[in-house]
Amino acid sequence: MTLGRMTRAIVTWSICAMILAGCVQAVPPDLVAAIDAIDHDLIAMRAPEAAPEEYGHFVRQWISLKTRVQSDDDLIRWPWETNDLEDALRRLHDEGGSTVARLNDRQVSQRHTAEAKLARLEARLQVIASQVESIDGRIVLGETPVQTDLLIKQARSFIEQKDYERSIQASEKANHALLALTTVLTRELGRYADDKRIAHWQTMAKQTVDWSRAHQSAAIVVSKAERMLTLYKNGRKVLSYPVRLGFNGIREKQFQGDGATPEGRYRVTAKRGQGKTQYYRALALDYPNAEDQRRFTLAKKSGRIASVNSIGGQIEIHGVENELMAQTLGCIMLDNPHMATLFERVTPGTPVTIVGALTGQNSVALALAQLGNREEET
Amino acid sequence: MKTRQTLAPLALAVLLVTGCAKPPAEQIEAAEKAVKEAQQSGAATYTAQEYAKLEGALAALKKEVGDQDGKFALLRDYGKAEQLAASAKADGERVKTEATKKKEETKVAALQAQQVAQDAVKSTLDLVAKAPVGKDRAALEAIKNDAEALKSSLNQVQIALDKEDFPTAQAQAQAIHDKSQAVSAEIQNALAKVGKGKPSPSKKK
Repeated sequence: MTLGRMTRAIVTWSICAMILAGCVQAVPPDLVAAIDAIDHDLIAMRAPEAAPEEYGHFVRQWISLKTRVQSDDDLIRWPWETNDLEDALRRLHDEGGSTVARLNDRQVSQRHTAEAKLARLEARLQVIASQVESIDGRIVLGETPVQTDLLIKQARSFIEQKDYERSIQASEKANHALLALTTVLTRELGRYADDKRIAHWQTMAKQTVDWSRAHQSAAIVVSKAERMLTLYKNGRKVLSYPVRLGFNGIREKQFQGDGATPEGRYRVTAKRGQGKTQYYRALALDYPNAEDQRRFTLAKKSGRIASVNSIGGQIEIHGVENELMAQTLGCIMLDNPHMATLFERVTPGTPVTIVGALTGQNSVALALAQLGNREEET
Repeated sequence: MKTRQTLAPLALAVLLVTGCAKPPAEQIEAAEKAVKEAQQSGAATYTAQEYAKLEGALAALKKEVGDQDGKFALLRDYGKAEQLAASAKADGERVKTEATKKKEETKVAALQAQQVAQDAVKSTLDLVAKAPVGKDRAALEAIKNDAEALKSSLNQVQIALDKEDFPTAQAQAQAIHDKSQAVSAEIQNALAKVGKGKPSPSKKK
């Protein structure tokens, strides 16, 4: 081989090598891998369920471009050639990256919203529960507290599953249930915050005290909201004892078995000493009196009370039968030493006036006011 | 020679006519049907990512057909569209199977949760029923109220199941189960206290 031929061969190979080295693949594999990674990120963020439109938009472009990538796989381009596929992939990469960032921000914000809503609800339910417990109003609310609690539990469970949208929905339902709770409480117990009703109760109590003074006799006033029994003698207060009421005692008695403690003017009809009552000592009252009968008949006629219900009876002021008994079925219960003292100081015929409350600042009105304030806060 | 001259344009015409490719209508229809069936099987809910990709594949297929339709008749090539259609059809069928399976699994899990919740509520109600009549009924009355609320909440689970909203049904059932256990514990405490007293005669109140 002459020097000239060798030189020509070297030049030819050099040109070929330069040409080959200058050629590029149609699409850089790392770009494809990066978009694939974005797809995985979106899936991990539950984008298909949480943001189906955005994910759908991304995935439609991705599949379309992937199809082109596969068909252009064996193509080699000159570096100076324009590559619209690569450009489209880069655009999708950027868009996908923005979608990931946007969804991430949205998820963080949704999580915060869901957690904050739930925390507020849990706190409010706790406040309502403790307020209701303090006024023995649990029965008043019926099934709503359990339903609310179940919704709150569901909201918590959806947060654990990172399903913030469902959690927020459950929280909103729970919020409505809580509003319903406060509405029921206000409707059922609003009379404890009603100035006219309180004035009426105060008048009833005053008349009882006046009667005691006028007749130089004993008289009893029971305030349900204050859970207090006061004995007057000759118009003067001689003792005050805490009492326990029916399991639904805060309500006005309507029919037998409702657990409510009646309100009205009664008299002691009999004194039941040891062996005559299961409750240590008992003072029988004349419930139902004529006024109770009238109210009951009217309520039945108007359909507020079912026709199968009867008015009930055997309401007493009694001592404790079982030390662990926290509430009665509608009677007024005192601790045994207090009952012993009271028992000695009253006679059959002693007036007993039972009222809802004696002041506007009673426990039920305060609880209702507090619930109203909390409602405004949320 | 004359015959050849006559046949040449005819052959060209035949070539032109047969050379014009047509879109694979049947395959496209089959692919669309498969995607629709996947959607009807609940794929958008139970295999959301697979379904989104399936929709993407269908869109890519339509684009490819559109691209080919836009070309000069002699240059049209629907080979790639055929491939895409076949692939979308196969994927559609696979996604449908997967979605059906996943849906069934979710349903089974929700039904199991419902059964567990029903059992829990039943044992709570049994505990309430065990409470001695007339014996500090007051203490149990509020709890009884809660047990009744749990019983009626079971209907909500059934409603969610009927709507095939299995995740909600499962979450509801789980919540009922948890609450039932709490209520049962409360009843047991109350019963433990009540058990110490002597039975009371039935009284009007």
